[in-house]
Amino acid sequence: MASTPLPTAKHSLPSLLHAQTPKTLLSRKLPNLPKSFQSQFCGVKLSHSSNFAVPSSFKKSSILAKVSKGSVAPSFSLKDQDGKTVSLSKFKGKPVVVYFYPADETPGCTKQACAFRDSYEKFKKAGAEVIGISGDDPSSHKAFAKKYRLPFTLLSDEGNKVRKDWGVPADLFGTLPGRQTYVLDKNGVVQLIYNNQFQPEKHIDETLKFLQSA
Amino acid sequence: MLKDPILKSKWYHRAWVASGCTTVLVSLAKSVTVAADSGIWLQPILAGLVGYMLADLGSGIYHWGIDNYGDENTPVFGSQIEAFQGHHKWPWIITRRQFANNLHTLARAVSFTVLPIDLIFNDPVLHGFVGVCLGCIMFSQQFHAWAHSTKSKLHPLVVALQDAGVLVSRSIHGAHNRPLYDSNYCIVSGVWNELLDTYKVFEALEMILFYKLGVRPRSWSEPSPSWTEETDTSSLIAES
Repeated sequence: MASTPLPTAKHSLPSLLHAQTPKTLLSRKLPNLPKSFQSQFCGVKLSHSSNFAVPSSFKKSSILAKVSKGSVAPSFSLKDQDGKTVSLSKFKGKPVVVYFYPADETPGCTKQACAFRDSYEKFKKAGAEVIGISGDDPSSHKAFAKKYRLPFTLLSDEGNKVRKDWGVPADLFGTLPGRQTYVLDKNGVVQLIYNNQFQPEKHIDETLKFLQSA
Repeated sequence: MLKDPILKSKWYHRAWVASGCTTVLVSLAKSVTVAADSGIWLQPILAGLVGYMLADLGSGIYHWGIDNYGDENTPVFGSQIEAFQGHHKWPWIITRRQFANNLHTLARAVSFTVLPIDLIFNDPVLHGFVGVCLGCIMFSQQFHAWAHSTKSKLHPLVVALQDAGVLVSRSIHGAHNRPLYDSNYCIVSGVWNELLDTYKVFEALEMILFYKLGVRPRSWSEPSPSWTEETDTSSLIAES
């Protein structure tokens, strides 16, 4: 399948001092698209306060989103792939990468899970834990984790309650659960949010880059 | 030389192709004559171009649907799905089919679609669109066959049109005919393939259908043997 490499947006710390609209990724080769498509296809990274102007695709979600950069992530308790209840508070004291994905055993989610698996040692070296969350039940997670030898925790957000609580935006006019990743610091404060539905491996690149530079 | 009779054209294949061509030619003739009478040329020509572009897009969507969903027992589309499955298994057979044998299914659909339009409407812009669009759809199976052929066996004009991107090229379509059969679905000019694949349009549609209806497309799994190209075809070649 043809894929055009896209440039990444750069956000530097000094930007916190200036009002700056986070740039969505643009490709010179492909025609201009509405911003709502750009975020889904090219990815949007928020690593500064949402008080600043955001692209129109995020305006709706930033009003509704309860979790944004700088806020303490709301706690949750969900069942993992072995049926054990796991709380977010268990991970306090170390950075956590919480990634919300649409569904087990779909091409994008499989690519993403395998990419997290392949870089898991690097995440551990950065002191971080990785948690994947989707609406699938524990038995689906167990089969998915076993098939692809996933070494990290998968949680069942049945009914998508946590997804809604965190305000993860849906894609394609609400027809598809969004693919959004949060990096929490050791105090449980959100430091990075990355959204990209159709380039799942980028979630690993972006979060690892952030953790390694922190 | 293959002696399998189902590759030859039967009289009713030729009849359907004749009727399909007639309806399309009538539509194009109406477009030209009414346009000439009223002196407008640009809109019917533009409508024809739009028809050519949409035929390519339509071919891709239809092809994607048939390749990924349903099976030989699906109502209405079952025989088509079986035919596409056979094509993935033995892609070279399309180059051995006689012309009407190859096109008759599409020609039948085109006949039923275009005939009422021919009878009811006289608008040159509508006929410009319909004649070109449905004509390209009917002949898409011929363009498809040419895309499976080798350069040496094709007329130089066909090769030139393929190289120019007017007709789907052998290399672009070749990229579809290998596992997981999940790209390059368009088979008129193939002009939409890059856009559809770059923006993962079909992947998005597949995700929506999976999430809303729970149906998995075939292209998400390693293709079953019944959908994969069979490399040993010695049993199909009759002794000459």
